[in-house]
Amino acid sequence: MLFAEGIRLAFSDHRGTSFTALDIDTFRPEPGKLTAIAGPSGSGKSTLLYVLAGLQPPQAGRVTADGMDIYSLGESRRDAWRRRTIGFVFQDFHLIPELSLVGNVALPATFGRSPGSRRRASELLVALGVPTDRRSVGMLSRGEQQRVAIARALAFDPPVILADEPTASLDGAAATDVRAILKRLAGEGRTVVVVSHDDAVLSAADATLRLDHGRPTAGFPMAAE
Amino acid sequence: MNPMPLVLAMLRRDVGTSAAFVALIALAVGLAAAITSQERALRSGSARAADKFDLIVAAPGSQTDVLLRVVFLQPGSVELLQGEPLRRLMSEARAEFVAPVGFGDSYRGNPVVGTTAALVDHLASGRLEGRSFIAIDEAVVGAASPLGIGESFQVTHGHGEEAFLGDQHGQTVSVVGRLPATGSPWDRAVIVPIEFVWDVHGLGTGHGAVPPQGEEGAGAPEAHEEHPSAIGPPFDLATLPGIPAAVLKPATLADAYGLRGEWRTSETMAFFPAEVLVELYELLGNMRAVMSGLAIATELLLVGAILCGILILMRLYRHRFAILRALGASRLYVFAVAWCFAFVLIAGGSVIGLGVAAGITGIVSALFAQASGIALDSGIGWTEAGLAAAVAAIGALLAIVPAALLYREPVVSALRGAA
Repeated sequence: MLFAEGIRLAFSDHRGTSFTALDIDTFRPEPGKLTAIAGPSGSGKSTLLYVLAGLQPPQAGRVTADGMDIYSLGESRRDAWRRRTIGFVFQDFHLIPELSLVGNVALPATFGRSPGSRRRASELLVALGVPTDRRSVGMLSRGEQQRVAIARALAFDPPVILADEPTASLDGAAATDVRAILKRLAGEGRTVVVVSHDDAVLSAADATLRLDHGRPTAGFPMAAE
Repeated sequence: MNPMPLVLAMLRRDVGTSAAFVALIALAVGLAAAITSQERALRSGSARAADKFDLIVAAPGSQTDVLLRVVFLQPGSVELLQGEPLRRLMSEARAEFVAPVGFGDSYRGNPVVGTTAALVDHLASGRLEGRSFIAIDEAVVGAASPLGIGESFQVTHGHGEEAFLGDQHGQTVSVVGRLPATGSPWDRAVIVPIEFVWDVHGLGTGHGAVPPQGEEGAGAPEAHEEHPSAIGPPFDLATLPGIPAAVLKPATLADAYGLRGEWRTSETMAFFPAEVLVELYELLGNMRAVMSGLAIATELLLVGAILCGILILMRLYRHRFAILRALGASRLYVFAVAWCFAFVLIAGGSVIGLGVAAGITGIVSALFAQASGIALDSGIGWTEAGLAAAVAAIGALLAIVPAALLYREPVVSALRGAA
């Protein structure tokens, strides 16, 4: 269970003027649900995702995972926690063209020890409908590449999936596929948090947090739209 | 943790840049290693070439000049050893042999050397093909000579640029033997009896009457029996012409030092070729130190420049590394990838550099052997391997810089930077 409370974060612009990046009392995305974060550009959506992933320490507040304050962990232990707990999906996939499909999916296994990672990578690709006969990432459509990226996020079978605009670079059919996959992952009991401008994603979400200037304007705690 | 899949992916992605980095390092290491390898080969090659020349006695002058003439058969002129000192030298009883050597002629650019059969046998070490000369019109050739046993030829007056094909002495010489390869300029030499050299230059044969000089009949010796066809010792000491030098074979080490001391007089100089070579090696060693220092400094500058290039390359990768951090990679993993990437380039360049050095020394040695006749053992040894290892080790240390910068890179700003 991921839980953020009392999150306060402010940044300074190049003139030294401070502005609020996040000011959130509570955010508790539920396991088994697809939770969306919406809002205009610069509203703090991605920043909240980084805070939840243990990449951006807040200036106040805490993020807990199953009761453990993740920012109380040292950086290397927080890296290990993120590797086991969080699966990240990006708008532009960020696959490595020089690696094979399986190599891309199994890449997180090279961060630590993960026996049998290549077999699991193959199984994930098959499960997500990626044509595994393609030799390189460059031979895949954008939708297929995003499915490889999702498979990579699932390499360690994490309980939490964080996706930053996962459908923004995809056409209609591919975006529909990815939405369905995210929904399915949530249905399997994972906590799925998606930052999105995509109305279809927001419609599919079980809950939506709307942010503006780092502050919730609607939706939480757990006000499903 | 296994950074290599990503390191290999990065090498594939920037294969052109990576190859250029490796090539530059390989060239720098290759040139530096070639200097030390070539210098060592020059030492061993020249020492081996001089090995058979135990003690050289000549007229006072430059030992280096005499060494170059006698051992390395280089064109040039030295004072002649003649008169009473020469007569005493030829009667030296403590040497197994005293072999006079004479020069001045050539055959198709190869030096013609006059000496005695004793020196030929000594150079052959019992492996002479055919036989040694027993007549004034016979010759033994070096292993690399174009002449074969049974061939006849005429020698040309002069050596090198001074020699003209049309300026032949007229006497025909037959080849009766061939020396085994010695790795010295003597491999290309045509060795004739010293009497032949004296005779074709109008100096007699050292075995009796000297032909008249100037007006016919003038200057003829009065009371020496003439044996114009005889070769080898004993010579007629009264009519013995001057010689550039003589090679002595002392019976023992004590004799060698004794003879050297005895023949170091105001009228003669005696030296072991090795002692002259040692002086040359010291000079060569100093030059090597300077050149090696310059080469290593150049290498380090190059490695530094390449690391700057890697640093720029790594900045282009900072977003990729941020993605890896988001996927769960630790800072240490990022450090390891960046460090391994730099180290693979530098270590790869260093190892290939040894191959480049082997190629350079091989070519230079071949050219040097062609020009001088001295066979050089072109090879890469522990010194060169140590040099390459040192470059790789320094590269490994310097590679920490780009790796540490990426290690310290804030993840979120890098993620936003390429979003």
